[in-house]
Order: sequence, then C-alpha cells, then structure tokens
Amino acid sequence: MKTLREFGRMPIALTGPALAVLLVVFGIPIVQLFLTSFNAPAFSTGNYKAFFGQPANVRVLFQTIEISVVATAICLLIGYPTAYLIVAASKRLRMALIVLVLVPYLTSGLVVTYAWIVILGDGGLINNLLVDHGLISSPLPLIYNRMAVYIGMVHIMLPMMILPLVSAMMGIDKSLMAAARSMGARPATAFWRVFFPLSMPGVRSGCLLVFVVCLGFYIAPAALGGLGDAMLSTFIASQVRSSFDMGRVAASAFVLLAVAIVVLSMVGLDLSGTSRRTAQPSLKSWHRLGEFFISYRAKRWIAQLYRAGGDGRWPQLVGIMFLALVMFYLLFPEVLVVIMSFSAGKYLQFPPSGFSLQWYESFFGDPSWYAAAWMSIQIGFMVVILSTIIGTLAAFGLNRALPRLRSFLTMAMLTPITFPVIVVGIATYLGLLKLGLLGSMTGIVLAHTIGAIGYVLVIVSASLANFDPQLEQAAMSMRAGPLQTFMRVTLPLIRPGIIGGAVFAFLHSFDEVVITSLVGGISMRTLPLKMWEDIRHQIDPTIAAVATLFILLPLVVLMILFVAGWRSTLGLQRARPVPAA
Amino acid sequence: MVSINRRRFIHGASAIAAGAMSYQPRRAAAQSAGEVIAMLNGGDYAKACMEAYVRPFEAETGIKVTPITDEFSMAKFELEVSNNNVSVDVVPIGPGLTLQASRKGYLEEIDYSIYKRDELDAMLDFAKSPHSVGSIVYALCMVYNIEKFPANKPRPATWAEFWDVVKYPGVRTLPTGEYGEYGPWEEALLADGLPADALYPLDIDRAFASLDKIKPHIRKWFATGSEIQQMLHDKVVDLAESYDGRAVALIDQGAQVEINRNQQKMTWESWAIPKDSPNPENAQRFIEFITRADRQAAFVQLMPYGPTNRNAFKLLPEAVARKFASHPDYSASTITMDSKWYSEVGSDGKTNNDKIIQRWNEWILQ
Repeated sequence: MKTLREFGRMPIALTGPALAVLLVVFGIPIVQLFLTSFNAPAFSTGNYKAFFGQPANVRVLFQTIEISVVATAICLLIGYPTAYLIVAASKRLRMALIVLVLVPYLTSGLVVTYAWIVILGDGGLINNLLVDHGLISSPLPLIYNRMAVYIGMVHIMLPMMILPLVSAMMGIDKSLMAAARSMGARPATAFWRVFFPLSMPGVRSGCLLVFVVCLGFYIAPAALGGLGDAMLSTFIASQVRSSFDMGRVAASAFVLLAVAIVVLSMVGLDLSGTSRRTAQPSLKSWHRLGEFFISYRAKRWIAQLYRAGGDGRWPQLVGIMFLALVMFYLLFPEVLVVIMSFSAGKYLQFPPSGFSLQWYESFFGDPSWYAAAWMSIQIGFMVVILSTIIGTLAAFGLNRALPRLRSFLTMAMLTPITFPVIVVGIATYLGLLKLGLLGSMTGIVLAHTIGAIGYVLVIVSASLANFDPQLEQAAMSMRAGPLQTFMRVTLPLIRPGIIGGAVFAFLHSFDEVVITSLVGGISMRTLPLKMWEDIRHQIDPTIAAVATLFILLPLVVLMILFVAGWRSTLGLQRARPVPAA
Repeated sequence: MVSINRRRFIHGASAIAAGAMSYQPRRAAAQSAGEVIAMLNGGDYAKACMEAYVRPFEAETGIKVTPITDEFSMAKFELEVSNNNVSVDVVPIGPGLTLQASRKGYLEEIDYSIYKRDELDAMLDFAKSPHSVGSIVYALCMVYNIEKFPANKPRPATWAEFWDVVKYPGVRTLPTGEYGEYGPWEEALLADGLPADALYPLDIDRAFASLDKIKPHIRKWFATGSEIQQMLHDKVVDLAESYDGRAVALIDQGAQVEINRNQQKMTWESWAIPKDSPNPENAQRFIEFITRADRQAAFVQLMPYGPTNRNAFKLLPEAVARKFASHPDYSASTITMDSKWYSEVGSDGKTNNDKIIQRWNEWILQ
C-alpha cells in the first residue's frame, strides 16, 4: 500500500530538479524579459513601438519569415523523396544512409558554413574549376547572395527534416499500400491517398523543427549572404553587442518568439510526440496546407518515385542518382574541410598546394586552442552528468504522469531547444546575471544544461515508451524493492536511451556558440567561441584542422551509440522530438 | 563643472598617492611574482604580443601575465564592470569605446608618473589620454591589385577616382557600415568632393547619397580583417579599402597588391585598465612597459601596425618604417578619424554612431 502511494506521488516529484533548473536559469528570466519589454512596472508599449517604428526592423522581420519558409520548403522538397528512398532501401543500406545523414547533422554549423565559403567563393572550388577549364572568364557570383544563404541553411537543416520523415515512414504499414493496389488504386493514387497522409506527422514535425530553427539563424546568413540578406537574429545580436538596452533587445526577441509561437500553435503544439491522438485533429488542416505549398511537379515526381519500387529499371536509377546527389550535397563540404586541414599552404585553398600536418601542430602547440578545447571538454562532461541525471528523472516522472500534464510539461521542458536560440541566449543571460554566474564555468554549464535536458528527455522518453511496465511489476512481485527493480530491470533496458541522451547532451554543449558567446563573459573561451573568433581574424587552415576534429567527433559518437546498442533503435528513435514511430 | 573637476582632481591625486605609496610593495610583488590578466586581441596579434610584450615583461618583472586572446567587447565589459565582477586587468580598446567607457566611469586613470620623460614626450598626442595609452596606429586605405592596375596605366589616387567606375573599372569592396564608426562615410564624402578639413560633423545624408552611387559596384561589404585579406589574396577584388596591416601582410608574402596612402583614414587602438580590476598596479606597469619605444619597435616588426611611440621609428630600418600609417611622410595626406563625433550624444539620447547604424540598416534593405 505504502509503495503504491509513493508510486502515485513520485512521478511529478521526479520532474522537480529539471523544472527547478529550467525555471531559475530560463523560465523566470524569460518572464522578466517579457515584462522588461513592456517597461514593467510602468507598462508601456514603447519598445514595441520603437521596434515597429523602424521600417528596417519590419522589413527584416518579414525577410526572416520569408527566408525561413523558403528554406523549410526546399528542405521538404528534397527531404521527402530522400526519406522515402531511405525507407525503401534494404535494411543494411538504410542503416548506412541514416548514419550518413546523421554525420552532417552532428557537425558544427560553424564548420559547415565555413566550408561553403570555400566552395562557393569567388576564388573558391567551383569558380576555380570553371575558370581553369576555360568555361568562364571571370568568377560567377555564387556567394554573398540569397541563393548561397539557402544552400548553406538547407544543408544544415536537411537532416532535421529527413530524420523525422524516415521515422514516420518506417512506422507505416506496407501492407496498407499493397491493399490499396490490390483494390485497383494506381501507384500514384495509392501513394497519395494512403502513404502520404500517413507520413504527415513526420512532415509536420520536420517542417516545424526546420522552420523554428531557421528563424533563429544568424551565422550562415551573415557569412554567406549579401548586403541585404539580414535576419532578425543578426539585428538582435548586434543590438546586444553595441549597446545593451535590455528593453529594446527584449522587444525584438519577443517579436521573433511570437512568430515562432504562432507557427507552433498553427501546426499543433504537440512536439513531444507522446500521443498520436492529439495530433490527428490538426492533421486535416495541415494536410490542406501541405498540398498548398508542395508544387504540382513535386507531387508527380514523388509519385514516380513510388513506382520505382515496382517495375522498370529506369525510375530505380533515377532514385539512386537522386539519393547519391543528396548524399554528395550533405557530405562533400565535410570531406573538403578534412582535405584542406592537411594543406601545406598558408591560405585556405582547394585543392591544397601540398600535404602537411602543420595545422594540427599549430592546434596542439597553441595554448589558446588546446586550453579552449580542454575547457569545452570539461564543460561538456559536467553538462552530461547534470543533464543526464535530471533529464532521465524527468522522463520517468513524465512517463507516469497523466497524458495531458505530460504533453504540457514536455513542451515546457523543450522550450530551450525549440525557441529561437538568440531568445534563449538573452533569457539565460538574464537568469545567470541574477545568479551572479555570468562569465563563470558554472554559468556556462547551466546554460548548456537547460538545452541538454531537452535532448535527454526526448531520447529517454522514447525508450521508456517501448518499455513494458509489466516487467517491473514482475520483478516487484518477486519481492525486488523499487531500487533493485530500477537498477536490475529498468536501467539495463533503457540504457541505450540514456547513453544516447548523454551523447547528444555532450554534443549540444560542445557545439554551442550563440548562447555561450552571450553568457561567457570576457575570460571564458570555449572551443566554438575560439573558432568563431578565429574565423573572423585568421585565415590560416588551423581552423580546418579544428573543424576536422569536430567532424571526427560525431563519427566517434556514432560508434559509441552503435556499441551501446542503438543498432536496432537508431532508425526508429530520434534525438529530436519526433512523433512516436 | 566645478564638482566634476574636483572629483577628477581627487581621483588624480589619489592615483598619484597610491602610485607613490605602492612603490615598495610593488617591488616585493615582483619578487613574489604577482599577476596581470591582459586581453591581447586574437590571432597573430596576440602571438606578436606574447613575443614582444608578455615574455620580456615576465622576464623583467617576474609578474606572471595571463593572456586572454580575444578582442574587446563593450557589452561584456559593461556587464562585468556593472556587476563588480571584473576579470581582466588590461584591455585593448578603440578610441570611440574609450570615450564611452570613460564617460561612464568604467576606466581606471592612467598613472603617467611611472613613465620615463623621453618615452612620454615621444608618444603621439592622441595616444596619451587620461584613461588609455595608445598601442597601435593603423589606417583604412585604398589598395589595388597591380596586375589590374599596373604602374604604367592610370591608377585611382583619390576616393573620387575610386568612385569613378567608368575610368577605373574593376571589382570593388568597402567596409560594412553595420558597426557605425568604421564604415566608409568619410570616403563617401571625400568622393563627393568635400574637402578633408570639412568632413566633421559628418553630413550623413550626403554620405549615403554618395554611397548610393557606388553600391551596385561593391562585391562585398566586408566586416572583418580576415575577409578582406582573403579577398585580396584570392584576387576576388581589384580595388579595395582595407586595413593597412592586412595589406602589408599580403605584400610581405608576395601578393600582387599595392597600398595607396593618399587620403588614408587613420585611427588607433589603446590599452586601458577597467575600474576595479584585480591587479591595477601590475596593469599600470604592464602598460608602461609595452608602450616603450623598444617594445613597440619589436612588436610592429611582428605585426605590421604603426607604433604610437615616435622613438620606435629610430629603432626601425626605413623600409620597415614606411609600412606604417604613422610614418611622418604620410601625415600630410592622412585624415584622422574623429571618434569624438561618433560618440556624441544628440538630443534624442542616441549617439551619432547609433543613428548612423540605424540609417545603414535601412539603407542595406533598399
């Protein structure tokens, strides 16, 4: 009786630590920030008036939405067929393809953006090739325009679109399609009437994630775009940099947040993917919207792809070529950076003038580099310990909570990774300011932990969803205590989820640059900060060597995951919030 | 006014008193190896600082220098000062920010009593401000690719000619205006025919009208030194406005570019001590040490920026000395940037810098 009561009370208590950290570091500050934006306690809309009073701000706001919408649409157009082809592939090939998609997803966005500069630049790879072969006389303007911004953004976001899609498509019962065909539906009809609607949850969460993350972009547009390709985050960041007027910055941040929230609520707030039923009502309207912005050509094209599974060699070939092209697009920049890091020249160039290890020597021989790396590793491990414990507890608590409470709390705990990063950064800054932890290692650890908890929560929740609670009951019935049951039954079964969560928590911390640059103060130099600094000041290939280490890291991580028993689950459970497969 | 003056006086007096009293302890501190935390900018700049400043200073005084290889950020600095949580003793800071920071009382006064007479006399006037000591002099100047503009063909000599895209065709770059102060405003006005001595106060409308004309011909409005260096190296642009140091570095490596010092826009950077820094005395000593002629001469040979201490030129071969913006030969054709104007606050509470940034943000979207 007593254990039962404890059991009944436990769930919510388990989310306590996570909620406490989130509230103190992020939750309360964001409310304060909101009040500040209205000049509380006097309450005036002055800051918002000032924001909308500047025509430049309004134009940049619309431009931000426009760029995000277009980038999301491109991601969907490329991502949907890619995911379809991945799912249609043999089991082994599918595994390999998922890993290949994961690699760029896990690579630092900074590094990738930087690789695109080398590829698209006036003296870059493409232009050099064309000029050398006499195809053009002067370089084509491939960089510093909107097109380059899309190329860079889509490259970073595509995995985030493909993975939820793959996850959703894997859950679709193939026999439904066969049934449709057997009843005389043409392949296109079967696809369009059966498969596509069933894949909508994946489309929805993919688009949502991509769109919201795009809203907060600022490094890629600044580095690849032209004069006019500014995004709101760029403006907010420069406001923070020049004169820190909290009210003004808060107002701009909440305008951006409002856009994100409007979109989130339009498409359905259920990011946690915990219950499928709640997703259904909004599906219809979304379906219509989906049809609206997927062009007719894409429809026909996807339909043809479906036929690829059936008869005819030619369509199959097209499918393979398409997949190869997407993989090339995803992986080529990484390969390029690795090659450049072994360059013998003093400048970034491709192909490199010779082979040398000097840039690795320069990395390991320069205290400002290895000290930064060491600091990032320390912070990363502290974040892993903190967020894995707190996040796992929270996942347990939520797993046993009422469904409605569960989806509300999951939503709340995911805000640090679903809100535009610049907003999170400014709120965290305010939170740490109150705690007196700005510019300290503890402060950075806390700032990273709030995001890392989200990753741990999602991944552990996913493995808990597949976990059969009857196993625990069985153990208890055989007189195992609650602790013993947890250690001997529950923990071993959800270990892959916990390890996965820990790994993503580490990567989240190791890669974070925007929030860290705001809360890091003067003397805290993490590796991504040092890289960002160096990209602006240095032009030697040390940066490529560092980037290579950054690319190798995810590969090591994937191996860890593989060894940790993700073999079977990798395709099904994803790090990002995706609907339950 | 009176009260301000009195406060200043008291500040000054106490600084001198503190300097005098701390003479003995300072020597003791040298033996027991005190510390100074110095921010040294990033990249090669920091490396040159380590070589020319940090190691000799440690050898002479026994004070340990903890370097921070980053550039100064006003927002972070403001935050640390306002939270009484200053973590750095010496910062590199531009003239505009020096004015802002000292106006807000964020900077320690420089104790000029510990400087040698002849060193102090040799220092350029603008380098000796109450709250900062000049570290380097540099300029934004015109640079062209000499394959595109060889010596036997006409080359653009003035900003008016830089604007003349018909007579001097070629791909161009100018610095971005998003930070206000270091944007191409003076150049735009000179190109529009304004004489150099009538630049300030800047006529913002006229500057933007002039920029309208050159806008379609600018390949990229560069934001960082590494960008302009890479662009000139890759021959992406034929005609540029560049930091002189970046161009000199390229020339030293054999790049096909040349600098035109006519109408160069000169400015400088300084060392300053944040209020309530952890080791203010060591910071005073460090700055005094690294602004000596011999140290600056050592530094500028590693990093091609001009010295603020004119005596440094005596220690440099003429070929090296000519690389620097502060070389006496260039002074007649040089415009000195007026940071004071940029940091002036108007009736609406905004600085000229803020206004120009806002205007720029609108202009780029047109």
